Amino acid sequence: MEIKTLGICLIIAGFGMWGLLGARRIDKRVWQLKSLRMALGFLEKEITYMQTPLSLAMRRTAEFCENEVSGLFKETAKTLEKKSGITGHEAWQSGLKRLKYESDLKTIDLELLKSLGPQLGVSDRFEQQKYFILIQEELKLLEETALAEAESGRKIWSYGGFILGAVIVILLL
Amino acid sequence: MTGDKEIVSKQILPYLSPPLQHIIMHLNDRFFASLEEIRLRSGQPLIMKIGDKDAAVNFKGELARSLDKAYVVTSEDIYRTIASISDNSLYAFEEEIRRGFITVQGGHRAGLAGQVIVEGSQVRTIKDFSGICLRIAREVKNCAEPVLRNVIPDGSQILNTLIISPPRCGKTTFLRDITRGISHAGQHNVVVVDERSEIAGCYRGIPQLDVGPRTDVLDACPKALGMIMAVRSLSPQAIITDEIGRMEDAEAILECINAGVAVISSVHAGSMRELSRRPVMKSLLEQKIFQLGIVLSRRKGPGTVEELIRWD
Repeated sequence: MEIKTLGICLIIAGFGMWGLLGARRIDKRVWQLKSLRMALGFLEKEITYMQTPLSLAMRRTAEFCENEVSGLFKETAKTLEKKSGITGHEAWQSGLKRLKYESDLKTIDLELLKSLGPQLGVSDRFEQQKYFILIQEELKLLEETALAEAESGRKIWSYGGFILGAVIVILLL
Repeated sequence: MTGDKEIVSKQILPYLSPPLQHIIMHLNDRFFASLEEIRLRSGQPLIMKIGDKDAAVNFKGELARSLDKAYVVTSEDIYRTIASISDNSLYAFEEEIRRGFITVQGGHRAGLAGQVIVEGSQVRTIKDFSGICLRIAREVKNCAEPVLRNVIPDGSQILNTLIISPPRCGKTTFLRDITRGISHAGQHNVVVVDERSEIAGCYRGIPQLDVGPRTDVLDACPKALGMIMAVRSLSPQAIITDEIGRMEDAEAILECINAGVAVISSVHAGSMRELSRRPVMKSLLEQKIFQLGIVLSRRKGPGTVEELIRWD
């Protein structure tokens, strides 16, 4: 009997935890999108006002931004610093791979960030600024959509996990 | 590895795309000594200027018998080369792009071709690059040694000197060596007004080519403006500048000479007759501004001194 009760508790707690983590993940996505938007704003200033070389600008942006998204800039800087004939686009793609692994962003978010790659460092300040402004505006839209999704999905995920656990327990009994 | 091959391998190769690196690495060693230019044009054969000859080169690094046997440069080659030259930061080279070239480490120059964007009457930028001309900078130390005693006859007074030559006869190399010679001889402060970054080959403000211990360089500075700035702020005994020819250059030269500063410059002309046909130069010659003329040619290779003319 005690083992049975322990099993029920473990199933409900396990699914409940999974639900809570899901709720946390959709909240984190909103924060990460915001952090990315701010980081890209910082990168834009480094490029357009300071004219900092791209590898150094990426390194500085990595130091400026939140841990969860800094991997994108750290990895890009690391790849560029090797100076092995890698283009800004290729380095950015390597950074995105790391970001995908370390963040809670969706494919749509990563695709948007991917579109910045071919433009990185290949034009004058004026052109660079245009791309950065555009991508920040699009990130803002994604952020708003993600916030709306988080508000409706947070409760579903939080309670849903425990409810699903309870349903499974009932079915098993 | 020969000195010339080492220069190309260390200072030029890292900027090129992998296929171009492969080709240059497989070039016959004897070509490196006279390799002057590497010309990349999108969709066109790879051409190198080796000595006096234009040579198309195939993927094996051999001279191709005809243009259609040569390696065809791709837009990817151009893109990667531009990305490397600018350290993936074209925005940090706006001034250089406006001037049409980027000087890389070692003083070598990458001339750029592409779509030129004009704002008003000024070039704003170049985009959609279609061609790169990599010109290899070389120092020929002591090439001006035989004429240096004519430029500073008594070791202290520097004569106002004009180096006259058609293009590609080594006048910039000659001018650089004269600069180095004067800088080493005696206690002369020398200022190089290097409008096209060719004399000192500055990279991020630092001369990449030896211009001597007492030489200051005003890099990428318009000649006329730079000469006046130098007189006012750097107290030189000699000012060196390249390719004079405009009215404002002549006015600045007069200012310098009247301030007691010697001017050594170069000018494009095949002969004295050609030179005297140019109104600005004619006026300077009539006023006997220059005391010494050195006429160069390529007869026995770049930097052949054809004639020394005394005007004083």
